[in-house]
Amino acid sequence: MFQSREELEKKLAEYHYLIDRNAATVVYLAVKLQKPLLVEGPAGVGKTELAKALAAVTNSRLIRLQCYEGLDEAKALYEWNYQKQLLCLHLKQNQSKSWHEAKDDIFTQEFLLRRPLLDALESIEPVVLLIDEVDKSDEEFESFLLEILSDYQITIPELGTVKAKSVPLTVLTSNNFRDFGDALKRRCVHLYLDYPTFERELEIIKLKVPGIDQLLSQQLVSFVQLLRKQNIKKPPSIAETIDWARSLITLCVSRIDADIVQSTLSILLKYQSDIDKILPRVSSLLPDD
Amino acid sequence: MLEEKILEFARLLRKGGVNVSVTQIATAVQSVAAVGLAQKDFYTALLSTLIVDQIDQPLFDKLFRLYFFSLEPGVLQKHINHDEQETDQLTAVMQLVDSIEGTGTGRGAGASPYLLLVKAVRETNYPLLRRLGKMGIESLGELEQGAVTEIDKLVDQAKVAIGWYQAVNTLEKIRVQEKVSEIRYSKWLECLSFIEKYMESLVEDLLVRKFGPEALEEIALAANIREKEFYRLNQLEVQEIRKHITKMARKLASRYARRYRRAKHGEIDLRRTIKNAMINGGTPVRLKYRKRVINKPELILLCDVSGSVAIFSEFMLQLVYTIQNRFSHIRSFLFVNTVDEVTEYFNNNNIEEALEKAFAKARYAMSPFSDYGRVFRLFEKQYLPTFSPQSTLIILGDARNNYRHDERDSLQRIGEHVRRILWFNPQPGNEWNTEDSIIGIYTPYCRQVFECRNLKQLEEVTEAIL
Repeated sequence: MFQSREELEKKLAEYHYLIDRNAATVVYLAVKLQKPLLVEGPAGVGKTELAKALAAVTNSRLIRLQCYEGLDEAKALYEWNYQKQLLCLHLKQNQSKSWHEAKDDIFTQEFLLRRPLLDALESIEPVVLLIDEVDKSDEEFESFLLEILSDYQITIPELGTVKAKSVPLTVLTSNNFRDFGDALKRRCVHLYLDYPTFERELEIIKLKVPGIDQLLSQQLVSFVQLLRKQNIKKPPSIAETIDWARSLITLCVSRIDADIVQSTLSILLKYQSDIDKILPRVSSLLPDD
Repeated sequence: MLEEKILEFARLLRKGGVNVSVTQIATAVQSVAAVGLAQKDFYTALLSTLIVDQIDQPLFDKLFRLYFFSLEPGVLQKHINHDEQETDQLTAVMQLVDSIEGTGTGRGAGASPYLLLVKAVRETNYPLLRRLGKMGIESLGELEQGAVTEIDKLVDQAKVAIGWYQAVNTLEKIRVQEKVSEIRYSKWLECLSFIEKYMESLVEDLLVRKFGPEALEEIALAANIREKEFYRLNQLEVQEIRKHITKMARKLASRYARRYRRAKHGEIDLRRTIKNAMINGGTPVRLKYRKRVINKPELILLCDVSGSVAIFSEFMLQLVYTIQNRFSHIRSFLFVNTVDEVTEYFNNNNIEEALEKAFAKARYAMSPFSDYGRVFRLFEKQYLPTFSPQSTLIILGDARNNYRHDERDSLQRIGEHVRRILWFNPQPGNEWNTEDSIIGIYTPYCRQVFECRNLKQLEEVTEAIL
């Protein structure tokens, strides 16, 4: 898929996803070793975006499975389309077949509803399988992911084992909402995405908010970076920096000062307690020059 | 050859308390084969395969540096030496330093290095900081084998040698006088913590180079904060433990929630089921269940906060209040030789702030020596009638009574009033009942007494109890 890390870095950059060298190495490893990639990190640093970007640059279909409490096999893997089965039995009622024949009739591929995981395994074209927010799922679901992630196969009692036609590039993301099992973690290659460095965030802003003034972007990024170091509930993510930059442009602001920051702070901070904490200190948090 | 080194390194990680499986090592070897031996890629390959928990990364970094740079520098291809690279730019600064050293008056006299440190921090001049760090370490002289266990102490000596504390003082003054903005001040703090860490790494590096794998093993063992006694933790490690505790609490909380979500339905409610069956002409189509009432225990924490025990009490309070929805009510008390309730500080408050306030404001000590007997007597008199008989009392302390009255009758009456007393003792078990420790006298009145001297034990105990 990729010949080297540099190639991967370049292709992602063309898709406007900037990635630093370490992260690129890890992604490259996951691709090369055909291991699932587990991406962890604070909210809004581009974990899901990474999977989307990977799908785009490898020309693969993105199959997304959003995890939540109570997600089970029927919704993640496959389900028998029992309405259709009933209908079929109903139609064949008069033909008086034996049970075995009838069973062979209704437990076939035709009556199988493919959910994301099975879909990913059976796909002939290359796919990127994104299992989003794994930490929100239940423990049982996790152990059931194990078979898929280590052997890329699943067993359906009525049909037998389904092996992957081509190994999907699997990306799991987690917000550390709950600590999930070591067994799953050990099967993955780990990537910790943190908030970007000053330089990287500046690049991202320039890329996503074209035409922004050089000095303004520097000012706002350094303010956001400093904000993240404060003891607050939810530090601003990259998405929020971009939003802020866009709103400043809409407001025709060319330099930030205490007033403008105070009136737009709610774009960066989402908790009232955070805003209350930062508001009186804004002027001392602004860059010197 | 390379496989061996990776294996050896993985063993080292295990010594440091990180679980590394054989599969992970195999993956690590494959990864290295895939990305090559350039320093950065090699590092990333090992990190992404051997470390499954973000919390372990600082330890990984430290052991990686010591193993692959100090002990086995031959493994990596391009190891660029920072120091050599910077030498050229540094000549000017070094002359400055040398001129000070050259005065021959040594430290403490003449232009002392602390002024240079202040200068370096104000200018955020990292090369100069490095140079000063080296100076501090050089002042330690020859290091001996035994020094491996005393790295903290050595770093502290080095800090004194370069006038660290004076410099911090001066910087504080400057900050107030010149009204330094927070953004600059945060940079200063970064500089200060940088030089601290830099000196620590220098000492470790020296020791590993000099005494080889044994020293490295010692360092790995010492870095295993899960099994380090609470009172031996340094400031940085306390921060680490706090993170661990938050994580632990989250784990406990989520497990609890899952369990009770499942068991939400209790027994079948026959009356309602039959009543409902009337609608369907007497066929009970849908069963009705009684809702299960979850009984949440009431918890009372009585925490010794004298000297070395304080940090343990703090951890426990943090843990308990993080999972407070697990209990119907928590009341907490701090004591040294008198006792005060601190429950209110934790109401609707950030836990860290609450802890700070509680420790600063509560009146729990009239002398620095703990007096369990007196505390039990006061506790019984002032608070006992307000506790429900269903509550669990957890006492945190080492039961070192400074040879005062034990007042065991008081504890007995307390024990008869509440449902049970649990005692968590942070002192190592082999020191119990020696010197002024009288845990043995109190034990008969407690349901259970636990040794709880490090994170690992705390984890085990809370899992068993909560």
